[in-house]
Amino acid sequence: MSGVRLALLAVLLAAVVLPAVAEDVLYLYIWNTYLSDETVHRFEAECRCRLNQDFYSDNEEMLAKLEAGAVGYDLLVPTGNAVETLLRRNALRPLDKARLPNLGNVRAEFRDPWYDPGMRYSVPYATSVTLLGYNATRLAELGLPTDTWALIFEPRHLEKLKGKVTVLNSQRELMAAAMKYLGYSVQETDPARWDQAKRLILRAKPYWATFSNSTYIKDLAIGNIWVAHGYSSDMYRAQLDARDAKRPFVIDFRTPKEGAVLAVDSFVLHRSGGRPDLAHQFINFMLDGRNAGDVSNLIGAGNPNAAATPYIRPEIAANPGIFPSEAESRRLEMLRDFDPQTRRLLSRMWTEIKVR
Amino acid sequence: MTDDQANRRPAGMAPRPGQWLVALPPTAFLLVFFAGPVLLLFAASFLAPGDFGGLAPVRQEGRWALTLDAYGFFFSDWIYAEIFLRSFVVAALTTVLCLVLGYPLALAIAQSPRRRRELLILLVVLPFASNFLIRTYAWIIVLGPMDLLYSPVAVIVGLVYVHLPFMILPLCINLEKHDPALLEAAQDLGAGVWTRFVRITLPLSMPGIRAGSALVFIPVLGMFAVPELLGGTRDILIGNLIKEQFLDNRDWPLGSTLSVLLTVAVLLLVGIAAWAGRPRESIS
Repeated sequence: MSGVRLALLAVLLAAVVLPAVAEDVLYLYIWNTYLSDETVHRFEAECRCRLNQDFYSDNEEMLAKLEAGAVGYDLLVPTGNAVETLLRRNALRPLDKARLPNLGNVRAEFRDPWYDPGMRYSVPYATSVTLLGYNATRLAELGLPTDTWALIFEPRHLEKLKGKVTVLNSQRELMAAAMKYLGYSVQETDPARWDQAKRLILRAKPYWATFSNSTYIKDLAIGNIWVAHGYSSDMYRAQLDARDAKRPFVIDFRTPKEGAVLAVDSFVLHRSGGRPDLAHQFINFMLDGRNAGDVSNLIGAGNPNAAATPYIRPEIAANPGIFPSEAESRRLEMLRDFDPQTRRLLSRMWTEIKVR
Repeated sequence: MTDDQANRRPAGMAPRPGQWLVALPPTAFLLVFFAGPVLLLFAASFLAPGDFGGLAPVRQEGRWALTLDAYGFFFSDWIYAEIFLRSFVVAALTTVLCLVLGYPLALAIAQSPRRRRELLILLVVLPFASNFLIRTYAWIIVLGPMDLLYSPVAVIVGLVYVHLPFMILPLCINLEKHDPALLEAAQDLGAGVWTRFVRITLPLSMPGIRAGSALVFIPVLGMFAVPELLGGTRDILIGNLIKEQFLDNRDWPLGSTLSVLLTVAVLLLVGIAAWAGRPRESIS
């Protein structure tokens, strides 16, 4: 009888105590594979709380879910233009910098982004560059340059690469590459210059295999494709895949000398989150050099944290495709959203490019 | 046996209120989750896009902010009509290929012994056990070395592969119900294999052909994953165009307009098909 009573008591106690313990949960809405398991375990041990991650693979997907009324996320990791969107919708909570003593670790060049000067709402976490990945072995055989957009736009190079090139299936990214090659800004809206870019793209298009946003990783790694326009972290993965499969060629990637698109993903606090205290604790933890370095080691992301460098594997830290030189960095530009009418006109031009 | 006879209620069974009660939840489900979104889509096509995606407010400065801009934009350039036409051609081609490939197989399955028939139908359905995107990715590996990847041929191959079961299953269900006595009678009257097929099997299987064709043709029109994964630099269909408006370009009104016009075009086509295949007056 006393055994039964004891068990009942234990159950009652558990019912009262467990929810209180379980309440310490930080809800994170983040890109796929953006936090390593070790980072998560380390944080959970430090805060004695639980980290709950939901994933998205696209800024639009995240914005759409929040717009549809998803609530309860403490932290999001949007790219610059999505930070701007969230700010305009008044969806973000300002940061309490007194709770972020590690904020000084952020590199100077990342402290005043156009979407949030002075980091009032956002703390940069990882960066990537839209660049060219290539089969270094093949391109050396063909005697082609690897540091210029001319590789995907100039017929004199493309003649040796017919059917072996993919470009991103994104009107903004491809136009940005063309604009950079022509020496203009990625925010260019002058119709005459748009037309110039369109002609450049249409002249090169017959040589391209396809528009691809994801299949190029595998195509590069198995040797189907020799040059791909895409994101630096994807190229890093293709490089590793080719090496692990012991392919008879090497994949490499470089930022073209004419400049390219830089994407910066930042931690921001969503207004609907219930635990801003844990969210600040997490951001400060992630600003610590050791934890900040994990994302570069995990997926080959660039790192805006100065204290992270000693913790990043040397071959990644020394890769100019992931960490562009200072001269290259100056020619990088972030994408800002166009207004609706401009978006519609660009989309029609994009459709024309596709159909021709 | 005509459709009319098949649908007739067995003698002596009066309609019961219970039947309506059972039909209520699915009807409510369709009203809320199908009719609702379609109406929202229709409404969205008359609004302006929001500055940062989504829709501009319906009421601005105390007035209704409805506009025909998106429709005007669609008709301002031939490019959209061209993609519509191209998509209908691709969908028709896919349907015809599915029919040509699916019909003999469905006939063979329907005429095999009962126990083997169940196994064969299971085999037709088996691909559904794995995700359709993964099966499409597998085609990249198959078509890559054949130099067919990233071409219109690859798109058609992928579309036919994905939709073939939707043609075979309704055909099987129809063909296995045919009364073998009809074919025997025709043979006794001296009809050859070809005549028996053309005069008996084919006309009797028309409902199956119609159902299968609709199940292939209409989904192909909305398909964007297959052209995106297997197609080359020119293979864009309406599905891709609509997806781009909602995701990449964040122009919901234009995306909604494209969807509405696609629905109108499909309904028109189905209407024409139904009119062409309407039951003619006959002596019974």
